[in-house]
Amino acid sequence: MSVGFRAVQWNRDKLVYDGLLLAAVALYVTVFLVVVPRLEPPKDALGEIDLRIRAFGSATFLMLTAILAIGPLTRLDRRFLPLLYNRRHFGVLTFCVALAHVWFMIDWYLAQDALPSLGTELTTWPDYAKFIGFPFKALGIAALLVLLVMAATSHDFWLGFLTPAVWKALHMGLYVAYGLVVMHVSLGAMQFNRTPFLPLMLVGGFATVGVLHVLAARRERVIDQGTAVGSDGWLLVGAPRSIPDKGARIVAAPGGERIAVFRDGTRIGALTNLCAHQNGPIGEGRIIDGCVTCPWHGFQYRLEDGCAPAPFTEKLSTYRVRLRAGMVEVDPRPLPPGTPAAIDCNA
Amino acid sequence: MKRSHRTVHRALWPVLAVAVALGFVLALDLRPPPDEPPAAEAQTP
Repeated sequence: MSVGFRAVQWNRDKLVYDGLLLAAVALYVTVFLVVVPRLEPPKDALGEIDLRIRAFGSATFLMLTAILAIGPLTRLDRRFLPLLYNRRHFGVLTFCVALAHVWFMIDWYLAQDALPSLGTELTTWPDYAKFIGFPFKALGIAALLVLLVMAATSHDFWLGFLTPAVWKALHMGLYVAYGLVVMHVSLGAMQFNRTPFLPLMLVGGFATVGVLHVLAARRERVIDQGTAVGSDGWLLVGAPRSIPDKGARIVAAPGGERIAVFRDGTRIGALTNLCAHQNGPIGEGRIIDGCVTCPWHGFQYRLEDGCAPAPFTEKLSTYRVRLRAGMVEVDPRPLPPGTPAAIDCNA
Repeated sequence: MKRSHRTVHRALWPVLAVAVALGFVLALDLRPPPDEPPAAEAQTP
């Protein structure tokens, strides 16, 4: 949590996550470099470099697909939440793998002492008006630049400096990078390589990301349709027992932001559904050790007043709650962050 | 995510998805036939 600038705070979970990631990438690249030459033996040293280009390029595409799938997967099934915990390291590693792809591509030109022809390829301006024949490497470079910006701003310092809303908007650039990579492969390798593997990989990855996003969006739309608003503007949440103990129900006024109404035994409190860290969905978290805990990265807040426990300083907006005719209701007008507003439903 | 962020996200990704899917289908459809020796193969990794 933000008590000033700090380097990455390593813990066992992060080390295990990163270790598994590195092992998976190493395994994929190794298998690729062992299996593919048996199917298509490289003719010369250039062919061997080309293999490395393809190994790291396909690894980059698969990693981007996995990163884009994590978000909707966590909305559909909580068991995927551990994947989200360290997704930024996944992104930085993907940038490094993409960089290796670029390095071997440059090596391919250097091996022929033909680096200037790469410049010629990129600056043959009439080719930019073509579809087949478009300088596809320019698409790859554009994708790499997007990944560079995201990797460079992945640290919590930038998250705090840019604010979570701007940071999240910036990191939506991953969708643009993914589109650029698909077109980079479609107009590049897929034009020269007749193997069905490439189109299958692109269709499989793209369809996986698309279907997961549609399923998650359908689930989310129900919440955003809004909750019934009473005559005095309060939202009906339901009976206290309808809120899971140590968990929350998420409600929203039509057109308004989501509100997470938590129950901890007989205590009921409402907080904004936006975590102060990355605007994560607080209401999908649990109450752990007496604190509302964000499911994304474990940031914690007191149910009573939305304040993070000392020494942390984050505060969430709270909402007034009341019990009326045995039903919990919440006022959708936010209170200043840190305002005590929880009630006891047995009182 | 804020409501505004969700709105942008929901507007952005389907547009991108359609554009990229169309580009991919066109690239697949217009690629040179297999019996034609691809001139660029020797030039491009």
